[in-house]
Amino acid sequence: MRKHIASVRQEDDENEINLTPMLDVVFIMLIFFIVTASFIRETGLDAQRPDQDEQPQITDEEGAILVIINDRDEIYIDNEIVDMRSVRPRIEAARAEDAERPMVIQTHPDSTNKMLVAILDEANQAGITNVSIVEY
Amino acid sequence: MRDYDEGIKEEESEINLTPMLDVVFIMLIFFIVTAVFVKDPGVEVRQPVAITAVEAGAGSIYVAITPQDEIWIDRDVVDPTEVRFAIERLLAEAPEAGVVIKADADARNELVLRVMDAAKAAGVQEIIIAAGPV
Repeated sequence: MRKHIASVRQEDDENEINLTPMLDVVFIMLIFFIVTASFIRETGLDAQRPDQDEQPQITDEEGAILVIINDRDEIYIDNEIVDMRSVRPRIEAARAEDAERPMVIQTHPDSTNKMLVAILDEANQAGITNVSIVEY
Repeated sequence: MRDYDEGIKEEESEINLTPMLDVVFIMLIFFIVTAVFVKDPGVEVRQPVAITAVEAGAGSIYVAITPQDEIWIDRDVVDPTEVRFAIERLLAEAPEAGVVIKADADARNELVLRVMDAAKAAGVQEIIIAAGPV
């Protein structure tokens, strides 16, 4: 009887699960997930688009700072052609009268994205948060 | 007596892997849960730069617009009229996702605005036009 118990014990010892292969797999999965983890985030500018039915109202709205980009990437403020460098002074001057003035950027379909981003950037630097982008 | 003692010592000095295994498992679960599989638009664009660029949220939907008037979503060219459905499909997987419009510096604004409209129609709250740091 005693001998039998001893033999069972020995068998138990041999039956202990070998964790090494599982550990290998777990480590490989861990390394995979660490490597694929994306900590890099894209940067960009917030952009707002008014509702379709509000668009005509917004462009006609009195008091909004209207910046127009035409098909040749020229910038117009108050129907005057403006150089890229003087966009911010113009926006700031317009805002000095009324700090709550919203801004509307009217883009021609053929104008390029870099002008839109540049003007959004200038507006952000001037501290305007309420910028809507509408079609020409 | 001496033999017996040494026998026990040897058995105790065998490394116990259980706590390490616990830690590794917890790390594994953490990385699985936080894993964000970026839906790459599938095309490289030359981004414009902006000083005031802010970070987009994790797990955003990327929409690329090339200067050749192609819209790329999830490694596929998408027709401008299908953009809304493509965004809705990706939004179903991650309802809180925002949209990042990765438009080329020379992409036409018509498409940028159309993608913005499509994203808005699909119910996206946060729309960002990608711009690299200066």
